[in-house]
Amino acid sequence: MMIDAIIRTDALGKRYGATWALRDCTLEVPEGSVTALVGPNGAGKTTLLQLATGLIKPTSGRVEVFGEAPRSSADVLPRVGFVAQDHPLHRGFTVAEMLHFGVRLNPTWDADSAAARIARLDIPLDRKVGKLSGGQQAQVALTLALAKRPELLLLDEPVASLDPLARREFMNTVMEAVTETQMTVVLSSHILADLERVCDHLVILSHARTLLAASIDDALATHRLLTGPRTDPATVARVHDVIHESHTERQSSLLVRANGHVYDAQWEIHEVDLETIVLAYLGYRGVSYAAPPIGEAVAR
Amino acid sequence: MTWVAWRQQRTETLIAVVIVVLIAALLVPTGLEMASTYRDDGLAACVAQTPSPACGGALDSFISRFNGLGDLLAWLTLLPGLIGAMLAAPFVLAFEHGTYRLDWTQSITRRRWITGKLGLAVGAAVVFALIDIAMVTWWRTPLVHLNGRMENSTFDGEGVVAVGYTLFALGLALAIGVVWRRAVPAIVGAFAGYFALRLFVDTWLRQRLTPPATITWHASGRQPAVLNHAWVISMGPGSKPGQLGAAPTALCGPAAKPCTPHLPAFLNAVYEPASRFWSMQFTEFALFAGMAIVLIAFAAWWTSARTS
Repeated sequence: MMIDAIIRTDALGKRYGATWALRDCTLEVPEGSVTALVGPNGAGKTTLLQLATGLIKPTSGRVEVFGEAPRSSADVLPRVGFVAQDHPLHRGFTVAEMLHFGVRLNPTWDADSAAARIARLDIPLDRKVGKLSGGQQAQVALTLALAKRPELLLLDEPVASLDPLARREFMNTVMEAVTETQMTVVLSSHILADLERVCDHLVILSHARTLLAASIDDALATHRLLTGPRTDPATVARVHDVIHESHTERQSSLLVRANGHVYDAQWEIHEVDLETIVLAYLGYRGVSYAAPPIGEAVAR
Repeated sequence: MTWVAWRQQRTETLIAVVIVVLIAALLVPTGLEMASTYRDDGLAACVAQTPSPACGGALDSFISRFNGLGDLLAWLTLLPGLIGAMLAAPFVLAFEHGTYRLDWTQSITRRRWITGKLGLAVGAAVVFALIDIAMVTWWRTPLVHLNGRMENSTFDGEGVVAVGYTLFALGLALAIGVVWRRAVPAIVGAFAGYFALRLFVDTWLRQRLTPPATITWHASGRQPAVLNHAWVISMGPGSKPGQLGAAPTALCGPAAKPCTPHLPAFLNAVYEPASRFWSMQFTEFALFAGMAIVLIAFAAWWTSARTS
């Protein structure tokens, strides 16, 4: 497992002035995984991705990509495809010039596949990038990142500014690329629904902190919703991590990360879906369960 | 990186070319006319030898016809500031538009990106400055035969100083731009800074970088020939040789005595002789180019180390 981590961070932190944009972040992104980086705006997603590309340098802790510090090693960048938030492009360039830009700056450039992808998307080569629709601009940015033939693809809020149809098309392009190449992907979003179809790992960030970093299978297996008569959750909290609690006059419901079996006749135990888990971590009210009680639940 | 840097700087380069072409459209016809008048009226002979009576009239008419245009062209001394500041725009716009995040996540290092972009901007600045100097020098040739090239408005446009001026404006716009991350304020700020510094150097510093010479002569005699093409900083009556004396009016005290007009026995002049042209050019070029190097190095350092 240690060897296979493409990104590894250790107590990674980034501070701007007095504000920590990311703090004490320790996680690993396994090779070949597709990781969703989820959190509200300002949670530290962009900071984490920019630290991984070497665009910014850590204030504390360490980040390694392919076992090297991305900021100081020149060997990391050629292996990383990155689409920054709002997919910046040179708006005065034509699409053809934008592709030529890629040729000039990347030794591993795959000109044929880039041209083929642009043609498949019906994007006119002689059009100025600034004149393209938002969805087309995002696709051009993604094409540039993919044409590097990266081993690691980092996408920062790739679909946030897109309409639903463009979102779907963009994610389709990502999924095709992932199945073709087995590259490792990290994509961020403040909405899980954008990413749920493609990802197999999940990192939840909020207020500069990492709340959860796990495979989706693990996350689903370890999180349970407990409902029962109104009680103080302290007894449960001694064994399991209570992520979210809500109480009505007569009933309490707790979303917990179970450490081993949850065994308590007092509680009805429900499986939860991924969205519920994310919402619970991000502290939204009204967490509800997705499935009928399964009695005795298991973890891990 | 060269292609990318060129493509990103293309608009600014084209604007600079248009400006240069417009100025050339003004300079070439008037310059040709002036040169042919100078030749046809035989003014070269007048300047070289003791002027004949016919020469006086020809010189006067030539000067009254073309000196005004020459003064108008003194405004061209702003051109290095304009072009230098403008050539900083592509570098600054990468931060204003956020496209540095695209450029820096391709396969090349940040150092190479900075070197490529700054190198091209510096190269373009030097080329445009040289074109500017060549045009102005060619145009002024006849006037220089008459007046020399040491006066402020001429000194600025000839030799090599304009290269230093252009690089300085470029460096200042880059330094402001990398910190502020806005192209328009960077250009405006750099142009204002350029103007202020040029004013300071022209009116105060230049004559202190190279301390001027003083010459004294009998008021009844002819003005020394060495002053002909020199930059005469001040000239006035001298009470004794080697010093600028008080003006004659100062001798008319409040004592209500009859005021005798004292004709000064001597005249003094403080001046920079024409022979110092190249040494003063290189001194001032070194000053501006030195500041430009510091500013450009600052911009590169800030970009490389502080952008994070």
